[in-house]
Amino acid sequence: MWRYLLKRVLLAIPVLLGVSIVVFAMVRFIPGDPAQIMAGQAATQEVVEQIRESLGLDQPILVQYAYFLRNALTGDLGRSLFSGVPVSEELGQRFPRTVRLALASIFVAALIGIPAGILSATRHLSWVDSIVMILALAGVSIPVFWLGLNLILVFSVRLHWMPAFGYETWRHLVLPSITLGTASAAIIARMTRSAMLEVLRQDYVRTARAKGLAERVVVNHHALRNALIPVVTVVGLQLGALLSGAVLTETVFSWPGIGKLLVDSVLARDYPIIQGAVLLIAATFVFLNVVVDATYAMLDPRIRYE
Amino acid sequence: MSRRLALVIVAAFVAAVLVLPATGAPATPQAGGTLIIGRGADSVTLSPYASASPDAEVIAHIAETLYQLTPEGRIVPLLAEAMPTLSPDARTMTIRLRTGIRFHDGTPFDAAAVKWNFDFILNPDNRAPFRAILLGEVASVDAVDARTVRLNLRRPFVPLLAHLTHDFLAIHSPTAVQRAGGMRPPTGEPYGRQPVGTGPYRFREWVRGDRIVLERNPDYWGPRKPLLDQIVWRVIPDDGARVLALEGGQIHVAVRVPPRETTRLALNQALRIDRTSSVRTIYIAFNNQKPPFNDVRVRQAFNYAVNKRAIAQTVLGGAARVSDAPISPGIVGYSGIQAGGYPYDVNRARQLLAEAGHGGGVNVTILHPTGRYVQDAQVAAAVQAQLRAAGINARLQTMEWAAYLSFTNQPPDRTPVESFMLGWGTVTGDADYGLYSLFHSSQWAPAGFNRFFYRNPQVDSLLDQARAMTDAARRAATYREAMEIIWRDAPWLFLHSESQVTGVRREVQDLLVHPTERIVAFHAWLRR
Repeated sequence: MWRYLLKRVLLAIPVLLGVSIVVFAMVRFIPGDPAQIMAGQAATQEVVEQIRESLGLDQPILVQYAYFLRNALTGDLGRSLFSGVPVSEELGQRFPRTVRLALASIFVAALIGIPAGILSATRHLSWVDSIVMILALAGVSIPVFWLGLNLILVFSVRLHWMPAFGYETWRHLVLPSITLGTASAAIIARMTRSAMLEVLRQDYVRTARAKGLAERVVVNHHALRNALIPVVTVVGLQLGALLSGAVLTETVFSWPGIGKLLVDSVLARDYPIIQGAVLLIAATFVFLNVVVDATYAMLDPRIRYE
Repeated sequence: MSRRLALVIVAAFVAAVLVLPATGAPATPQAGGTLIIGRGADSVTLSPYASASPDAEVIAHIAETLYQLTPEGRIVPLLAEAMPTLSPDARTMTIRLRTGIRFHDGTPFDAAAVKWNFDFILNPDNRAPFRAILLGEVASVDAVDARTVRLNLRRPFVPLLAHLTHDFLAIHSPTAVQRAGGMRPPTGEPYGRQPVGTGPYRFREWVRGDRIVLERNPDYWGPRKPLLDQIVWRVIPDDGARVLALEGGQIHVAVRVPPRETTRLALNQALRIDRTSSVRTIYIAFNNQKPPFNDVRVRQAFNYAVNKRAIAQTVLGGAARVSDAPISPGIVGYSGIQAGGYPYDVNRARQLLAEAGHGGGVNVTILHPTGRYVQDAQVAAAVQAQLRAAGINARLQTMEWAAYLSFTNQPPDRTPVESFMLGWGTVTGDADYGLYSLFHSSQWAPAGFNRFFYRNPQVDSLLDQARAMTDAARRAATYREAMEIIWRDAPWLFLHSESQVTGVRREVQDLLVHPTERIVAFHAWLRR
């Protein structure tokens, strides 16, 4: 098991290297010049050239990449072209906020999604099943913007229960995590339902029932644990998506996390921040995949990584 | 008995307390409280390396300039004691400074500090982004004595006085800059995160992407003391969320309220909507060297074919002023050339097109940004629809902003651009910046901002002359003459200047929305 995990972690190195090459090349090939943006639309060509030179953007791209790689290996991801703040400092501030939001959201999503899926599967083709699946369909279809703004309208503007923006306390976390968790809850519910349905048709479940076990015991102990493997995969992937794709929620709730940072940086062509943020997100995905794999082994004794 | 008396007194007291605030008595400014301003974007730097209005509006509260531009477009002394004196050849400008003023760090404000600030910006190695635009004609700066500064100019350059009102030329404490570890290009780090000036508010805290907090400067030198305990700028990027935070009372001021929200917000008794026209002019520029726009009749036809008033009223919800000149009111040197702009006259447009040989219609491509200016894509769509009536078939093309800036900034022999929408903020408050940078033929892209390759020797000569005119009336007349020619030549489709639509809660008093796109809270206070 440990050897397997070590191998997986080592395999992450070429993955991250590949990601860095792709991102490095991509941001430089899209049109738009950071020096021009930084200088403002009114700047003279001379000023733009000076800025480009001071940022090292006049160097050949391979030279730029070599510098980037050398510095990255020593933990130096460079400085933001715009704010001049070290990339590691900026990411170090932003990422924990996004992690907090993503964890709260996935918690909300699992708390709603898994029981809803189980309920739906055990009442297969009943009206309960239909309602849960309709709600799930609505959950994935509702635009995040619409949901977020309406939650603010009701719980913040009308009822004054929750703050409309900010990220300092747990109260700030409630509305954004519901907003962000809703779509994931729907996806998890659907996945739990179909996994449960499959397991509930298995022979050992019939055996368990034939033994005269209570339906609750059959569902919770015999069926659920076996149905959890695909659910864990989905939860893991959803968490990865939430960590990188919370842009809209972060925008609506003025949550200064990494998604908003990444979008702003792309618009401003802030190359070092884009590179750093994408690398961090890629590393997070790799890490989550390892965690998910390790969880399989815990859930299913038949899975061994030797 | 005594108990009853006590009750009566208490009741009278309560009644008085309840009634007093409701009487709407003349507002006596009250000290205290925190003003929270919600805006869409954070500042980048609070140093002389600033380059945009989110920077400028915060700097203005911390560090002051030698002169100040009033919202009416008048220049008045601020850190200077009086208006400057110009030598007869207009090559040196001498400025007397106020005395007894100290920076927030306790060090004195004097001529040496002013010289240090200007020298820093003038030094090309420091790469201050606005050096060329604001101080380009200044050769050197002398501190004549502790309270007198002399600016030596390369050639007469009258707009300099207006430039001295610009927040990017605010005077920072030289000692504080050194203590912070200096200022490095491109953004003046590390000092740019902890500015120290002479202004009514002191810097306290900046959480990037989230908020900037200033606190009252209890030792402020000016006659009107600051009243608020704190001013906080919060970043709320989403327009809708910003408006909701205003309605919910979590912020006092929301900048850039979308036009579609204003009707609804006007019904809210707790708020008022402030519409202040800005010095930003929106236009569609024609490539003046390229057919069909190298023919003045075609350019004029486009101006006649578009109903600017209708666009301002409907698409922009009234939050715009139809352009009547190439620059907007509130700028030194502005005068209206044609009231209401080019009249909306489709027949005249058709006739001009026919004269130019385009009787059978004409095809053009208009580039426009999305989300950069108020309703920019919608304005472009409205223009397209109206042009159709005059037989003009316009194809719209959009591009993300960073790419857009580069794409429209190509030299004349290489550019594929036929026409494009842009805005120009004459933020120095002087016509020179709005006219010279755009219409002088020495400013053709990519070296300058004449991205539409307009050239008229007469205009060039007038703009050159005006730079050296010390007589304000003659200067204004010269600009008027230049603008009349530009208006006739129609290098642009003149559209409108944007209004800044700001939502303000009723308890906020004496808040100013400045035409230079800044919220000014120097004298603001909260009624409680």
